[in-house]
Amino acid sequence: MSDVSPPLSLELSIPSEFGYERVVREAVASFARRIGLNSERVEDLKTAVSEACLNAIEHGNAQMPEMRVGVNCVWENDGLTIRVLDHGLKRYAGHVAPCIVCKVHGEAPPRGMGLYLIAQLVDTCGFETSPDGGNVLCMRMHTRSMA
Amino acid sequence: MANVSHDADHEERVVELHLPSRLGYEKVAMDAAASIARRMGFSTDRIEGLRTALAEAITNAIEHGNAHDAGTRVLVILTVRPSELVVSVADQGCKPIDQSQLAPAPRIEDSFARADKGGWGIWLIRELMDKVEFTTAPTGGNQVRMVIYLEKQP
Repeated sequence: MSDVSPPLSLELSIPSEFGYERVVREAVASFARRIGLNSERVEDLKTAVSEACLNAIEHGNAQMPEMRVGVNCVWENDGLTIRVLDHGLKRYAGHVAPCIVCKVHGEAPPRGMGLYLIAQLVDTCGFETSPDGGNVLCMRMHTRSMA
Repeated sequence: MANVSHDADHEERVVELHLPSRLGYEKVAMDAAASIARRMGFSTDRIEGLRTALAEAITNAIEHGNAHDAGTRVLVILTVRPSELVVSVADQGCKPIDQSQLAPAPRIEDSFARADKGGWGIWLIRELMDKVEFTTAPTGGNQVRMVIYLEKQP
């Protein structure tokens, strides 16, 4: 047995096909409940993780089922970190804040809210550079907001 | 891509999970597998059976195969095919599976004599799943491969 317990972690991977984001959502929610996130935060996380996986499936992996979407969750003292990885067929090109008024008035497409939504639901999020050229979206839920 | 040819390769989808060797975290795989099984159209009864079988297989892997070592992982692979769901659970084989546990059904009298009333996991898995095989994982650990068939509702 190791002297110091490594941080609790979960890794999963799914095919790039719509619908499999639900499997990730259930697994991550289950993991988050086990480490003690309250139910409201778990619901936020489920939505954020689903949106992140849908982006990876649709954009990063161009809906090619044989390409994998990877999801890593790590629980440490100061919070839960979740990374969603794709193959970067379409690279993240900088975030443009959606114009909600334009969307409501039908002047802009109703879609394209995913990253905006994710940023509202988790404590911090941002893209990281991946050595193999894929997109890596890192989302964090801090312990202090668990009360 | 909707117009890919539907050969066998394209009709198989794989979901992989790596879990920590800590009791309680089997729930993560149970919830993931139940989500897939619901999507495939399995009945509630069969999904409950799958959850129980998976819980038994993973707790065996954590307690026996990985001997509760926090540095080890349990690998769960869920393979979705048009008419079946294949679930395999592999540990890192700190302790090989006791072959004598695989064959006969446990006796209730023997279980009463045990402090933990345990020893029913493998029997339960065989009762609940349609096909069960115990093998050695490519990583050298123990592996249990369980299949449930999707019977279309009339």
